[in-house]
Amino acid sequence: MYTYALRRLLLAIPVLLLSSVIVFGLMRVMPGDALTALMAESGNVSERELQKLRKDLGLDRPYHEQYFLWVWQMVTFDPGYSIFTSEPISVALKQAIPVTVELALLGMGMGLLIAIPVGVLSATRQDKFADYMGRMVAISGLSLPDFWLGTLVITFAAIWFAWIPPLGYTSLWEAPWENLQQFLLPAAVLGFRLSAATMRMTRSTLLEVLRDDYVRTARAKGLVERVIIYKHALKNALIPVVTIVGGQLGTLLAGTVIVETIFALPGMGRLTVEAILFRDYPVVQTNVMLVAATLVTLNLLVDLTYAWLDPRIHYR
Amino acid sequence: MAKVATGVPVGIARTVEKRSWGLALWKTIKRKPMGAVAGFLIVLLVVTAILAEVLAPYDPLDARPERRLTAPNWEHWFGTDDIGRDVLSRVIHGTRISLWVGLLAVGIGTFAGTIIGLISGYWEGWPDLLLQRVMDAVMAIPGLILALAIVSVLTPSTTNAMLAIAMVIIPGNSRIVRGAVLSAKQSPYVEAARALGCPHLRIIARHILPNVTAPILIIASIWLGNAILIEASLSFLGLGTQPPIPSWGLMLSSTGRAFMEQAPWLAIFPGLAIGLTVLSFNLFGDTLRDIWDPKLRQPG
Repeated sequence: MYTYALRRLLLAIPVLLLSSVIVFGLMRVMPGDALTALMAESGNVSERELQKLRKDLGLDRPYHEQYFLWVWQMVTFDPGYSIFTSEPISVALKQAIPVTVELALLGMGMGLLIAIPVGVLSATRQDKFADYMGRMVAISGLSLPDFWLGTLVITFAAIWFAWIPPLGYTSLWEAPWENLQQFLLPAAVLGFRLSAATMRMTRSTLLEVLRDDYVRTARAKGLVERVIIYKHALKNALIPVVTIVGGQLGTLLAGTVIVETIFALPGMGRLTVEAILFRDYPVVQTNVMLVAATLVTLNLLVDLTYAWLDPRIHYR
Repeated sequence: MAKVATGVPVGIARTVEKRSWGLALWKTIKRKPMGAVAGFLIVLLVVTAILAEVLAPYDPLDARPERRLTAPNWEHWFGTDDIGRDVLSRVIHGTRISLWVGLLAVGIGTFAGTIIGLISGYWEGWPDLLLQRVMDAVMAIPGLILALAIVSVLTPSTTNAMLAIAMVIIPGNSRIVRGAVLSAKQSPYVEAARALGCPHLRIIARHILPNVTAPILIIASIWLGNAILIEASLSFLGLGTQPPIPSWGLMLSSTGRAFMEQAPWLAIFPGLAIGLTVLSFNLFGDTLRDIWDPKLRQPG
């Protein structure tokens, strides 16, 4: 197990380094450089000012030097300054990361809360009305755009319940109730999308498990159906579900981009979209790299959890 | 030829073949009704896209302020938007953008992914190691975020959104093709071809490629829905198709959200169009997977 963990960790490093080369390279493919593009949009700036800015941002150095400097900045958690606001990126990140983490956790929780009961219902009433409904919900979760759902949810909450979530963002520690109100709808939209795959997985693994011998034994000894499902079958059916949930981390992080934009939550996703719109490339490259690093780390953790959960699996 | 040799006249043999093909299609439709419905919807969408000019009752760009924000009625089935353009006509023309972007993005992504997968799986060794690590690195960035970053470099437009989506498709595709090539390579006929001194390119084109087409097509059909969704998301964020071109995602963000309470039809119809299209491609992809390749079938 330890050798496996170490091996996976060592394999993750080159992947991350390559990702950083890709992200860095991407930001340099732009015709001209970021500053020229920025200045062209903002109007007349003298050549001297441009040179000075270029020097301040380190854009006059050779590419490899810029790259190593950036990697060093990332490793030391000091990713430089935003071109647009001239503020340290780390300050913006410190405000944005907790928002996205909270949204992602709540979204994932909501997703499981929808997926597992509906998956169980679907499996125990296979090919009945409830099953068809459950599967329809799952497939629509995969197909309906989350920006559309978000827009509808906000509007209909306002029209039908005369309720609008408090605007902006309040920290969970300052005003927990207001914070939860702000996060309820976005987390539900995110969760609905995530629940689709998990629900399908729960349904199919539970169907398989319900045909196993030990379930038949449990039935034969006269256990109540509820105990059989929740105590015996579901526990074993949930192992592959862990992998599916792990595999959805990318969808989750991408989903936060859209949901944060719609619900005006100042998280990483909105920060990235705004940085892209303003061509604030230091912020874009830092955020994209941070997301990639988070994803690689979380995937590693999921794989290790899986190895730990299911001792039958031996990794070479 | 064999049928002719057994004494069955060529004409009859042809009708038998034709009928059995039709019968097979009918059987599949009966066995997979959802897939058939999805297939029918896809045909309908393609026809709508091709005949958009004929089908759309009005010019999608024709703004008439005097009829702005009209609710759905007999003249304007889907209502009109904030500057008086007919929403139905815009949704019909939007089909063209969505399908075009989806098809081209998936086409480019599948083509490039297949080439990389073929090289990786056929030669293995260092090209494989190098290419697959690069693919891992690209896959470490979530699709939408990668597409956003690419579009930010290339300036927002329909073509660039399409290229960005193609880039997102390549890594996963190359991995699936690689796996299929690795297993096809083991088969006796490839070994035989190699023993006969067949050149590499011929082995790849004649013996391996036909055997990896099924997974490629399945993945492509599943990706189509996703590609359309990503295009809509990019346009929604203002980073895809630019106004005044009618793209479903853009219709939602530019007017749909602003007038949501006043004129919900502005958001509802483009959203339904996206949902229905993506749903059709998802269901169709699932069906193809079930029919062609049980090995690729994921539980659920």
